[in-house]
Amino acid sequence: MGRKTDWFKGIFPALVTPFTQDDRIDEPAYRALIRHVLPHVNGLVPAGTTGEFSYLSIEERKRVIQIAVDEAGGRVPVVAGAGAQSTRETVALTRWAKEAGAVGALVVAPYYLKPSFNEVYEHFERVNEIGLPIILYNIPQCAGTHFRWWTAEGMAKNFENVVGIKDSSGDLPFMEALFEKVKGEVSIFVGHDEVVTAALAAGADGAILASANLIPDLWQKVYQAVQAGDLATAQQWQAEVQKLVRIVVRCGSTQAVKEGLGMMGLPVGNSRHPIVSGGAFRREDREELRSQLEVLGKIGRVEREFDLGHRVVKSQYPAVPRTPARFEGFTLKVGEGFAGPPFQELAHIDLLLGLKEGPVGRAIERALNEERTGHEVRVITERPRTLLVPTVTVRTAKQRRHVYEEAARGVVQAIEAEIGAGVLPEEGLDELCMIANVFVHPAAAIRQRIMFNNYKAMRAAVRKALEGRPALDELIHEKEAARHPFRYAP
Amino acid sequence: MSKVPWMKGVYPALVTPCDKSGEVDEPGFRKLIRHVLPNVDGLVPCGTTGEFNYLTAEEQKRLIEIAVEEAGGKPVIAGAGASGTREAIQLVRNAKEAGATACLIVTPYFLHPSDKGIYQHYYDIATAVDIPIVLYNIPQVTDAYLPRRVVEDLADIPNIVGLKDSSGDLTYTMEVLEFAGDRIDLFVGHDEVVLPALAGGVSGMILASAQVYPEVWQAVFRAVQAGDLAEARRLQRSVQKLSRIFCRYGGGVAVKQALKMMGVDAGQPRQPLKPVGGALLHEDRAEIQMELEKLGKIQAPMTNFQFPQKALAERFGDLELSAGAIRQAGLRLGTGKAGEEPEWVQLDLVAGPKESPLGDAYAYQLTYPLHRREALTTILEPNLTVRPATLILPAVEQRNLRQANMIYGPTQSAVARAIVDALEAGVIPQAAMEEEVMVVLASVDPRALDRHALYHNVRAAMAAAIGQAFGVGG
Repeated sequence: MGRKTDWFKGIFPALVTPFTQDDRIDEPAYRALIRHVLPHVNGLVPAGTTGEFSYLSIEERKRVIQIAVDEAGGRVPVVAGAGAQSTRETVALTRWAKEAGAVGALVVAPYYLKPSFNEVYEHFERVNEIGLPIILYNIPQCAGTHFRWWTAEGMAKNFENVVGIKDSSGDLPFMEALFEKVKGEVSIFVGHDEVVTAALAAGADGAILASANLIPDLWQKVYQAVQAGDLATAQQWQAEVQKLVRIVVRCGSTQAVKEGLGMMGLPVGNSRHPIVSGGAFRREDREELRSQLEVLGKIGRVEREFDLGHRVVKSQYPAVPRTPARFEGFTLKVGEGFAGPPFQELAHIDLLLGLKEGPVGRAIERALNEERTGHEVRVITERPRTLLVPTVTVRTAKQRRHVYEEAARGVVQAIEAEIGAGVLPEEGLDELCMIANVFVHPAAAIRQRIMFNNYKAMRAAVRKALEGRPALDELIHEKEAARHPFRYAP
Repeated sequence: MSKVPWMKGVYPALVTPCDKSGEVDEPGFRKLIRHVLPNVDGLVPCGTTGEFNYLTAEEQKRLIEIAVEEAGGKPVIAGAGASGTREAIQLVRNAKEAGATACLIVTPYFLHPSDKGIYQHYYDIATAVDIPIVLYNIPQVTDAYLPRRVVEDLADIPNIVGLKDSSGDLTYTMEVLEFAGDRIDLFVGHDEVVLPALAGGVSGMILASAQVYPEVWQAVFRAVQAGDLAEARRLQRSVQKLSRIFCRYGGGVAVKQALKMMGVDAGQPRQPLKPVGGALLHEDRAEIQMELEKLGKIQAPMTNFQFPQKALAERFGDLELSAGAIRQAGLRLGTGKAGEEPEWVQLDLVAGPKESPLGDAYAYQLTYPLHRREALTTILEPNLTVRPATLILPAVEQRNLRQANMIYGPTQSAVARAIVDALEAGVIPQAAMEEEVMVVLASVDPRALDRHALYHNVRAAMAAAIGQAFGVGG
């Protein structure tokens, strides 16, 4: 049997669904998002998992599919998310997707109540009757059930309208079994951003990805490179985006993508509850996502002024929409940064940043003139003059090494990175100073993580101190749901 | 119907004491057994808690011999399982030679044999050596359940007499009782569910914690036998947190720490396990100590805790802020007190501009952590700092990490919450977020145990202190 379609290949973004402040679908933002990705993609997927289909009403699902079809304007195929828990609703949604002009429907395995293999098979048998091309969708992380190859094989071979399979499990042995059983008959798509190059190299026909909202151009490069047989280039791009896409996949995909788009100047609002900002997409992930988007050139740099009191200096700052228009008040700025995992190697930095002639500078000079057993302080860099203070009493040679070598190295590298990024203004480095109060757990062992977590925590602390984060609205929004990890008994 | 009369009551899964060089400490093992023997019905040497998988065959045999010598006629169920059948048979032979009453045989692990392979494993052992065998289900470490259908068939073998279920999964326990309970006895091996398992029909228990508080388990056992569930619940509840720590945070490692606190030093676990700081966190070790004090197993050190008595403006000497300096700089002051002993708290608050002696004190505090009174920046949770930036300075020394945990856990999050509430209500003006800093002197009783109560007391006290400092109701 030959391939059933030829249109289902390449890079398809799993579009997020933008919401307004009052939680309605933000149509202009959705259209802007589609226009942002369209030049780089081979198709669109509205109302998929990343599109929060499970939080949309039927009317809303129809609406986002309609908008996607409208914006695509026939230039690329639209594969509409049309899955639901019951067969009845799935059939209705798929039928509607057909009427709306979608080229295909992405139909997730029925979830929550866990139907057996034969029940799943018969579910899709009913959907097949509608006559719209169907892409089977395996996403055990959410659905709680994994298609087994025999189910997928049976559906691919027996149902004439099944034209593809999207596998988001990241389970490459499963994907290899699909290649063995049905390659060439249906298109096999990878849906797990962390293994795209591996899957394409092994024979996948394309990818439906959450991160393709953010970096559709880079995924297109990966796809083209693999098509051209240039695996080295594909691997290189995969490596460059790996950290970004790991955050997207593992740390609250919908919210992560949405906040990333917001940082890039494409505001799409937040995910619907119960997904919350600072939840699965943790605040440390937000810092990391932002820095990765900077590295990938997705957040540009703009001029910002720093009012140091007696003079004003400037830098090219990687600003996001919430970044203040001007930095002032350098008497004493307080920042905090936390980064993990793992637990024992987590880093927590309390940071003070200010002018040398202010409270911070005076405290540094005084501290350097005092004897501190177990809390020896050290100046670890001069531009800006930065004092490292261990939070926990240093008792052993191992702790000494962890604090004064590994953590210190991470903090220094973070400072260098923020100077390079334009966050700490080069022209003001001789007037500014910092106190980094650094927590290293006495049971920490993995030196590389101590170093790197301190690097991440310090970068976050510097930015939060400068940018005055968290803002009042953020604190008020999160005060009820905030969960301090040490508030509870073991 | 029991095949043997001794499959009942309370058995400790003994740790294996080791000396500083890592060698088995035989006198230490004897001392441990003499400590527990009066309150137990038998002994289990070389189980999971006894780190059987880190022992040589010779060490294991010697430990079983000692247990038999010290048991005074009480039954000894010796751990003698292994990953492979061949080794397990040899270990069971050794155990029999050493005088063991029975052998506890763990589900074969690492390579995952099929149901048929598991059946064959136990069949081969039971037919090779004439000694009673207790099957052992502990999926937390073997990564596989001993399948109920296999147990159902194994129960027909005459010298397979029982099963120890450490899974804590009562659906499994009930299923095995249903299908094999007519032929073998069950022991519960999960300290957190002893009472429900006994009530469900198991005959006894093999527990890590039965060498720490065997008398509590004896009382639970007797209460269930007597049908006094209310008493059994009370007793189980009294050791629930400790049992949870033993089960989930390090097993034998945690038990060794508890024994050491009780004066029965069983040394360190063998590497790769760490005595503390690995699976057992320092904080949890400190928690064990508090719980043992509560149970009366160890003496609580004397504490003469009292709240700062001086006039409010004179309480900030640690910040080098005199009453005069506070007045001169026009700093805000407030205090609040809430709760009942020992979760009672008093919070003394000073707030003011960054450009003031308080700003200098704030910066200086972060360069000079007071020993055992390390100040911390107030956060709602990590990466969610409250503003105005607020330092919490513990008023009394934190004797251990658990007490410190009371400050950086419940106290900190409650202070943070009270600040955000006050911002939202407009009690703290929004301008203060950028222009001011605050320091809270937190007096928390070192004996405080109930984190939930502490959180609510701190929140109330902080709200009062803020109200006074920012001129509302003060």
